[in-house]
Amino acid sequence: MRDLYQRLALSPDANDHQINSALARCPNSALRQDATSVLAVAPHRETYDTLHHTLSDIGRLRARLGLTHGAHWQGDVANDFSLPPDNAISRHDELVDRVSHAVSLYNRWRRLRGPWLLIAVFTVGAGIGLALGFALSLGLGLG
Amino acid sequence: MSTARFSPFELLLLKSRSQVDTATLLLLGWVLVHRQHVSEGQRRRRLAQVTSQFRHGHELGPVMSIAHSQDLHAIQLAAEVVRKECSKERSLSVMHQAITVATDDGDISLANHYILRFLADLLNVAPATLGTLFQELTGQPLRQPEDPSRDAYWQAHDPDYYARKAREEAEAAQRAKASQAEQEQQQRAKADKQQEKQQEKKQKQQEKKQQKEDARRAKARAEQSSAEQAKAEKARAEQARQEQARQERARQEQAQEESRQRQQRSSPPPPDRTTRALAVLGLTPGASKTDVRRAYRRMAQLHHPDRFYSDSEHQVALASARFQRIKNAYDYLMQTY
Repeated sequence: MRDLYQRLALSPDANDHQINSALARCPNSALRQDATSVLAVAPHRETYDTLHHTLSDIGRLRARLGLTHGAHWQGDVANDFSLPPDNAISRHDELVDRVSHAVSLYNRWRRLRGPWLLIAVFTVGAGIGLALGFALSLGLGLG
Repeated sequence: MSTARFSPFELLLLKSRSQVDTATLLLLGWVLVHRQHVSEGQRRRRLAQVTSQFRHGHELGPVMSIAHSQDLHAIQLAAEVVRKECSKERSLSVMHQAITVATDDGDISLANHYILRFLADLLNVAPATLGTLFQELTGQPLRQPEDPSRDAYWQAHDPDYYARKAREEAEAAQRAKASQAEQEQQQRAKADKQQEKQQEKKQKQQEKKQQKEDARRAKARAEQSSAEQAKAEKARAEQARQEQARQERARQEQAQEESRQRQQRSSPPPPDRTTRALAVLGLTPGASKTDVRRAYRRMAQLHHPDRFYSDSEHQVALASARFQRIKNAYDYLMQTY
């Protein structure tokens, strides 16, 4: 399986007009014939696009996992769908980082006796509000 | 450190009693999603059947919905967990389960061809082992996947389309032949007319030539009698003018040539080896030599085999293959740039 879009210098969501002009420009007659019978026919292109999408996903996964030179990844597929080696962070390490961050936040909350703190803050706030309201009503009564 | 929320699969993994089992479940679900001609219920039943020994302790529903959404991050996470935690025996059993899930009778979808091979690479299963396993489970040898990017594939799978095309072409050819015959008749008539016209023209030209000749002879006789110095001066002036005109023309031609070259340069370059070599270094066409050099340095540091010395031998081999590829691309670019 070859990446016809890449070989014709097209993007995978190219419209019919772009495809036709690329086909007219293509200097390789064998490639032009293949591409005409795949991309210029709507049902064929749909099937091709589904597989193309899956293979791009696999290419990306292989690049991220360092598997772009596996024993099972050879020939046309490997040539066309291998992305440049990626330096994306390992998802598992990221998950471990996030979990440990969440755990440390939780521990800090418990250490500061979070729930009691919340109740105390609420009580103080309510008291101040009451006092202000009382003062205001007094002032109004005097005036 | 990202501040994004935990994704559904991450939550599932954290809640699971056995992370490897959950991750394997997602990979098997991914294979199942790409299996054709089965209903959703059949998929679930099949997955439950194959993974009856698993100890994950959660529902299969959420796993299947993640697999259906084809979330690449989730699949990558699952692949990392499986690679990290699987022993050699466990890898073979996962491979076994994946093949069972992908097919009953050796008939396997195109996408699953590639997914199974990806899993085999991930679990470090050699091609010969995979072939044997497949043969044992399905009774069919594991063939190379067919190639829908070729004309031959569609000739085998969609003969209707080719029959229709051939019929249309035949009709078009007939129509073209008829119109061609008509055109030829018209052309013949036109050619006859043109010949007559040309003969007339020739006669006229001959007459004109005769007149000119006479006039010239008369003039020459008159000029001989005039002073020779004047003639020489005139000739020199004429020469200078011609010289100037020639230079002008040359300059114009050069300008045209340049504009044509510029047009050629602005049209998209063909997808050739240079583009591919640039892509290996993670660059787009049009990158300068310094860009190439800088990209090469960065890539070489990232993928040097010595960095993977502490990992397995397999990792070192993969890294050195990557490094070789990067180096080849760089060498080629340095030669051409």
